Amino acid sequence: MSTENRLGTVLAPPATAADARVPQWSQFTGLYARELLRTFRNPWVLLITVVQPFMWLAFFGSSFSGASPAIVETLFHTNNYMAFLLPGVLSTSMLTVGMFGSMSTIQDKRFGFMKRILLTPTSRSTVYLSKALGSATRGLVQIPVMIIAALAFGVRFQGTPLMWAGWLLGLFFLGFGMCCFFLAVTSSSTDWQTPGVISNFITMPLMFASGALFPAANFPGWMQTIAAYNPVSYSALLGRGIVVNGVPDWTYLGYLGLFATLMLVGGTLVASRYLKIE
Amino acid sequence: MSGDAIRARDLTKIYGQLSAVDHLNFTVRSGSVFGLLGPNGAGKTTIIKLLTGLSEITAGEATVAGFDVRRDPMQVKRRIGWVAAEVILDDDFTAWENLWLQAKLQRVSAWKPRAEQLLAYFDLTDRRKDKVGTFSTGMRKKLEIALALLHEPEIVFMDEPTIGLDPSTRHMLWELIAGVNREFGITVLLTTHYIEEADALCDQIAIIDRGKFVATGTPAELKARVQSDFIEIETTELVDETRWRAIAGVTDVRTEGRSWILRTPSAQTTLPNVFAALRTDQIQRINIEAPSLETVFLDVTGKHLDAAGPEVHDFRKFYSTVRRARQ
Ligand SMILES: Nc1ncnc2c1ncn2[C@@H]1O[C@H](COP(=O)(O)OP(=O)(O)O)[C@@H](O)[C@H]1O
Ligand SMILES: [Mg+2]
Repeated sequence: MSTENRLGTVLAPPATAADARVPQWSQFTGLYARELLRTFRNPWVLLITVVQPFMWLAFFGSSFSGASPAIVETLFHTNNYMAFLLPGVLSTSMLTVGMFGSMSTIQDKRFGFMKRILLTPTSRSTVYLSKALGSATRGLVQIPVMIIAALAFGVRFQGTPLMWAGWLLGLFFLGFGMCCFFLAVTSSSTDWQTPGVISNFITMPLMFASGALFPAANFPGWMQTIAAYNPVSYSALLGRGIVVNGVPDWTYLGYLGLFATLMLVGGTLVASRYLKIE
Repeated sequence: MSGDAIRARDLTKIYGQLSAVDHLNFTVRSGSVFGLLGPNGAGKTTIIKLLTGLSEITAGEATVAGFDVRRDPMQVKRRIGWVAAEVILDDDFTAWENLWLQAKLQRVSAWKPRAEQLLAYFDLTDRRKDKVGTFSTGMRKKLEIALALLHEPEIVFMDEPTIGLDPSTRHMLWELIAGVNREFGITVLLTTHYIEEADALCDQIAIIDRGKFVATGTPAELKARVQSDFIEIETTELVDETRWRAIAGVTDVRTEGRSWILRTPSAQTTLPNVFAALRTDQIQRINIEAPSLETVFLDVTGKHLDAAGPEVHDFRKFYSTVRRARQ
């Protein structure tokens, strides 16, 4: 079949858009594996991933080691303050994984790799998802390291394996949501500095205006308001309930799931439109 | 399926005020090598970006491998390969891993035999387990082309495939690229600013300058267009322009201090007259430009293709006066 166009030239008809959907699973797994391989083959990335949680724990843990048990008890409502801090520290460290994800995306744009990807039948949302999941996965690696570190510090934990699995899922939701957020915000950026600037801008308020490090009950009203909507609070509270008291509040997990879903949907929409190539 | 791999109709790309690609019409025959020859900034890369769907078409339309670039970008992408001007590979990955990733992105499940075949063709088999970061530029370029061919595309786009390579590597790549077309039967659209490259590789050439085609045809057709030779002379002392114009066979003269360019139907017959008009010790340097793609480009654009800097402007001025004089 052929069509006659205005100029009278015979053109083969372009195929219809009906068969234009190309399955994305292969591209997704390839890009996700690439993300992980690139991360974990880099000794510096590995070193920092492992050392950072240790440092957090060592510094925070030591800050109160000289304080009297009474002060610790008033401040944290428990004398097992390392167990109190651990979920908060892990939640806080999940805030930074999004920054790495968007930095690696900007690197791919800069070095032209994004062009190479988008010249294959790979959709922008596939690129986006593989990046978000890749960097969230990388964030999860810190968790076992941190727990081992805490055990090494002599911390005792509560909770059943099922509770712990729920807690890890909550942390994953937080990290994944943050990755989605970062990638969406930097989807049209090609500047190395952007993710760092955003990270600096949001990490502080999210970290301190949450129950991650100190009980929110001591906050002034406006900070309590932020804390009430802050996913870091929810992740910290969920974890704390489990590891300190062995009593989880699963609504926190639901909230984190909602947060991750919203970020994923919003981010995919933004990235499929604005993800720049170079 | 028609015999055309690519059709472009009024293809246009505007960046702000700049028409980077300006209403181009062309077709690329299936199985041929089509060359876009032009200086830096002519719009060559932009054309590739438009045809591959990397950049949005401002106006006009393009069909690649039978699919409309705008309506079916995914179908186009399955059928094309692309070799960037810059090398884009994962340096921390081995050659084999780069091929593996490309296979994942192109959804080729039985890719290994093809990958082996390509590594053998590009003489990279014994380096397949080495990280690409350790490769020379020529090897990286070869691996890039191999990646572009992995999914057996119908058309492969090569943007300045030998830019920045030494002459011997360049010649080796020419052989390989010609083979890609001949042995693998793949249509090639390449861009270049090297005249010999276009001459050596292309069945059809479009000479492009500032977003427009200034001449199209086979290398032989293009060379037949310009009948004039150019004699470039440097003198040891100032010579009066009227003396050059008085030489029999010289149709045009351009002066720049002690450098002169004489246009003549035949350098062979005019050269003795030039020597007769001057003392030999007045001549510092002499150079003949026979009709070639270079002189075609000179003739239609007034520029040397790879000339850089102020010279370009001088030539443009000179040849625009030449053209005006001819009219
Ligand atoms: N993204 C862009 N934004 C604005 N101008 C651009 C862009 N890309 C290319 N150009 C301009 O378009 C013209 C053609 O560029 P290009 O296609 O890269 O030339 P070539 O590949 O022939 O050297 C140049 O003047 C260049 O500056
Ligand atoms: Mg270019």
